[in-house]
Amino acid sequence: MTTEIGVSHIDRAELRRFISEKYSEVATNPELGFHFHTGRPLALMLGYPAALIDKVPAGNLASFAGTGNPFLFGDLRQGEHVVDVGCGTGLDTLIAAQQVGPSGKVVAVDMTAEMRQKTQEGVDEMRLSNVEVREGFAETLPVDDGSADVVISNGVVNLCPDKRAVFREMLRVLKPGGRIQIGDILVHKEVPQDSKNDIALWSG
Amino acid sequence: MLLEQTGFTDVVMSNEVDVFSGSKHESDAKEFDTRGVTVFARRPA
Repeated sequence: MTTEIGVSHIDRAELRRFISEKYSEVATNPELGFHFHTGRPLALMLGYPAALIDKVPAGNLASFAGTGNPFLFGDLRQGEHVVDVGCGTGLDTLIAAQQVGPSGKVVAVDMTAEMRQKTQEGVDEMRLSNVEVREGFAETLPVDDGSADVVISNGVVNLCPDKRAVFREMLRVLKPGGRIQIGDILVHKEVPQDSKNDIALWSG
Repeated sequence: MLLEQTGFTDVVMSNEVDVFSGSKHESDAKEFDTRGVTVFARRPA
């Protein structure tokens, strides 16, 4: 996030298609092995307590591919409204839904159908009534202005060429005083232009 | 920082985690010194 990649000459529709295909595989075949860690070992590496992740259905946990832990800055509170930007297969959505309880709500947004389907399966298996899974992009969230207490996200902003647009959108959907708790990556060295234009490097 | 330029305040970062260590992506990640991190920030009240 320290390196702005908005100058990339990459075709954004092509990039979205590539990322969607890659993460469809993560959702449906997590056992294949990818260029990044996934599943329970990754969640433990990122500081998720075992007791917390083991309440989540195995299928949702197995496809987890985050880069941080939105709950490191504290649990969410009962009754809070949450937006999960790029919910993936739903690990953070399912944890958040338990923390905010029946009086709270989680809107889980993802552009990839297989990810949304897996999240919905987890919601159904856990019999959660406070989650709504929606199709959408991080840059144009299908969420009302000023409606969220918290925006969470995990490993998604780095996949978006226009990071400023993503942060503006998070700001738009938050209530005044609301907060973001997002996991992502920091790139400490300047990324050369040819690498910025290499679609394969964007999603590992 | 981009978050503050966008209008967020109270930005706090967690310790960084070498999330690509041991993965197939490790060499690319090392080339650009890429680390996982968690960020907190607030919309002004």
